[in-house]
Amino acid sequence: MLAVNDWLTIALAKGRILPPTLDLFERAGIGCGQLREKTRKLIFSVDEHRLRFILAKPTDIPTYVEYGVADLGIVGKDVLLEQEKELYELLDLKIGPCRLSVAQKCGCGEAAGGYVATKYPRVAEKYFQNRGKQFEVIKLHGSIELAPLLNLADIIVDLVSTGKTLKENNLVEVETIAHITSRLIANPGSYQVKGARVSTLVNMLEQALLEGEEAQC
Amino acid sequence: MNEKVKRLLTPEGVQDLLPGLAGQKREVERGIQEIFGRWGYREVSTPAFEYSANFVGDMKAELEDKTYRFSDERGRSLVLRPDFTLPLARVAATYLAGEVKPLRLCYGGNIYRYASSRQGKQRELAQAGVELIGCAGAGSDAEVIALAAGVLKELGLSEFTLCLGHVGFLQKLLDSYGVEQEAGDQIKDFFNKKDFVSLKDMVNSLPLSETIKENILRIPALRGGKEVLSEAAGMAPEGAAHDSLDTLAEIWQALDDYGVSSFITLDLGLVRTMEYYTGMVFEGYTTGMGYPICGGGRYDQLLGNFGPEQPAVGFALNLDHLLDVLQRIKKLPAVSGFTYMAYEQGSRQRAFAAALELRAQGQKVVVDTEYRTKDDALCESKARGALRMLYFISEVAEDEVVSGEDETTC
Repeated sequence: MLAVNDWLTIALAKGRILPPTLDLFERAGIGCGQLREKTRKLIFSVDEHRLRFILAKPTDIPTYVEYGVADLGIVGKDVLLEQEKELYELLDLKIGPCRLSVAQKCGCGEAAGGYVATKYPRVAEKYFQNRGKQFEVIKLHGSIELAPLLNLADIIVDLVSTGKTLKENNLVEVETIAHITSRLIANPGSYQVKGARVSTLVNMLEQALLEGEEAQC
Repeated sequence: MNEKVKRLLTPEGVQDLLPGLAGQKREVERGIQEIFGRWGYREVSTPAFEYSANFVGDMKAELEDKTYRFSDERGRSLVLRPDFTLPLARVAATYLAGEVKPLRLCYGGNIYRYASSRQGKQRELAQAGVELIGCAGAGSDAEVIALAAGVLKELGLSEFTLCLGHVGFLQKLLDSYGVEQEAGDQIKDFFNKKDFVSLKDMVNSLPLSETIKENILRIPALRGGKEVLSEAAGMAPEGAAHDSLDTLAEIWQALDDYGVSSFITLDLGLVRTMEYYTGMVFEGYTTGMGYPICGGGRYDQLLGNFGPEQPAVGFALNLDHLLDVLQRIKKLPAVSGFTYMAYEQGSRQRAFAAALELRAQGQKVVVDTEYRTKDDALCESKARGALRMLYFISEVAEDEVVSGEDETTC
């Protein structure tokens, strides 16, 4: 393999899944304390491991990886399903487990058509099309639970983890579309050209995951 | 959208190339064909559309849904060529059937596919490639890979990897493990997409022994130098999968002799979408480009569709991706500047003659189409971005040369 610039740039999602992601890196022996500090910095270098981290909005992570400004990224499967980009999916990091589900108002019968509100229009459309159901998709950017309460939509497609939000809004989960966790994704070019570096990192993370599982048992 | 704007747009997946890039693309294409020529490959040209029947036999659903099809005036189904290997195989098996083997053929042109996986969003894709027909040995596999590496190096790429695999390895391994075909196809699809998360879930759900599951899940890690071949040999039962590994070892050795093994990464999980591959397959990648810049492999049964079966191997460069890369690393051929020529009344004939002479020497000369005063011409020269200006005056024998840099402002 060729001697190339062997720094790896990894795009991480800001927000809820960042702390457990950093925990995982630390279990793998990669200290990233500087990412936990409250700063406005978005780019961090860990010289010791020749790693560069960038912090971005979850939905932008596949884009950074697709265009190669990040070699690798860590992002929820929900984002990957929605964006359908051609990126390699190397590892299930088991972070932030939840479900992408269909939910509706309590006490309603099964809806065969109508309106569905979601942050995931492509996933929703494909899912209902495959089941021969005609739903018109309404794209919302947040507080999806509002839609059925205000009769904007008959059902919703959204992430559910504990189901608490649904319950509080008098909604019930009726079908699970997919189980979601965070995944390690790679740009195909980086995966090939920086193959040895990527493999080493994957092994380190895999090992850390195994140890984490054993610790839980 | 108003009518005028609508008329200016091109359909999805195709694009106009403007002055500059269009010329640079042509120059890159010319350079590639020249390299192919230096390796003894002769160019052939095939039509942009053919009878669908020529393609359909070998197109699995993957390609079939992605081709542009239409019918001619008699209702026969035609297809815009989605690939060059099939037409080249047709030509080799028919018109060139009597020629001494091996045949070394090359081509360049566009293929058409509805935006398909592994190609990006473009629907008209420029390719240039070669086919080496009539040779079965690892030496011929190595020749086309070495040629691919040679082209990429000569175009100015330094950070690239050609990953090399063999379709027989995974297939035979899965067969020997007793994996059913349907599951096997799905496993190959996950390898193709490098979706190792789904692969793991899928393999763990199959009724296989733990050792076999572990072995299959270790294949993604079988990447690197020739040491992966012995590692792979350890997990394959005696028999067919070993033949693939032996072939790869031979190819590696030949590539080492070509002096290009530093560009090669063995990847035993490499799967390519085209169904016609029967042996070695390879793909070229570079940093920051999510799609392969080239790819190819061995297809020993394809020619049998048109005539006697003949072993064959080839590859194609994906020019659009390659141009993106060359643009990014600033290795596109330079666009040379031009001389701007202007003249006043009475000196036009001399200007035209001088222009002819310079053009014969290979220089770019733009001659004005109307008379101009010198000041006017200077402005014109500057506005057009000429390298220098030649101005012809009628009375004096000495004409003035004004180089681009020391022009006065106007």
